Amino acid sequence: MIDSTLILPALVLLIFIIALCKRVPAYSVFLTGVKDGMGLFLDIYPALLAMMCAISLLRESGLMDIISGLFQYISTAIPSQIWPMVLFRPISGSASLAVLIDIFKTCGVDSLAGMMASIIQGSTDTTVYVITLYFSSVGIKKIGNSLSIGLIADIAGIGMAIFLTLLIFA
Amino acid sequence: MNILWLIMICASLIFAFFNGRVDVINQVCLNIGKDTFDFVLPLVCTVCFWNGVLYVAREAGMIAALEKVFHPFLKWLLPDLKEDEETLGYVATNITVNMFGLGSAATPVGLKAMEGMQRHNPKKDTASRSMVTFLVLNTAGVTLLPTTLIALRSEFHSLQVTDFMPWAVLCTMFASLVGIAVDRWWNHRD
Repeated sequence: MIDSTLILPALVLLIFIIALCKRVPAYSVFLTGVKDGMGLFLDIYPALLAMMCAISLLRESGLMDIISGLFQYISTAIPSQIWPMVLFRPISGSASLAVLIDIFKTCGVDSLAGMMASIIQGSTDTTVYVITLYFSSVGIKKIGNSLSIGLIADIAGIGMAIFLTLLIFA
Repeated sequence: MNILWLIMICASLIFAFFNGRVDVINQVCLNIGKDTFDFVLPLVCTVCFWNGVLYVAREAGMIAALEKVFHPFLKWLLPDLKEDEETLGYVATNITVNMFGLGSAATPVGLKAMEGMQRHNPKKDTASRSMVTFLVLNTAGVTLLPTTLIALRSEFHSLQVTDFMPWAVLCTMFASLVGIAVDRWWNHRD
């Protein structure tokens, strides 16, 4: 079993050693990267605020508990907070991020639910959003079976995520 | 999305009125803007650090090197683009950039790839086979470095920030594999 705390420092070291060998002006390139990253705030904040609002209201009103409770019949091994995550992951990136933050807040980041939600978040991309954006950009209306295949892949990824979490962290 | 969002909010509000939880809802309305701002800002700042590191990686030619690795594989997956090196390059860049969690940098390149594929498309309003395969690769694509997720976990003071990573990588590989397999099986034409 590799120590996971090694991943990030080792990656940075690898990148910087290669940059050193190739004489990349690393400092100024790094600054450009950070500068471009700041623009992300304007991309993320509006959508995330809208979704956080909806998710918070769903939870505080008690409606979320009722919906999660229905799914509880499927399997009691899976934490009930995970279901909104499973439902939102393929549809909207900011909605699933909002659910993820909600889980971190209520269950804790290192809890079983927190771990499972992290792996689910990392396992797939937002299929519906990407397909809508890419096809509409070139004016395609008949999208073939891309949506079905994307969703099948999502189900596979999320299922695998749940299975692995229960196997490793439970 | 518009309708879903409205339904979510209206249903919660109506439910809260009947449930006697109006005071909690009131708190949400008052604080949600600031609460969201409070964690988005540090989140973006952490992602900025990785953005900087990844720009260095790109400048050092690491992303270009990875693209070369995928090239033959993509030629096999997208047979009608065999002649079009430019579009194939865009596809390779999009997939590689996505791998490193630079989602916002991947989208413009991805849209260029779609334009390129549209030129080879005999029926302009119908998705070509390559487009379907490309989008499957994109949505089910492997993510090796989920920067936002790492930033978020450290913001919540996780004791094991990166513990999920090997498993997440395994899951995304599995999802990609299933996606490609289903696509091959379903859209096999020659």
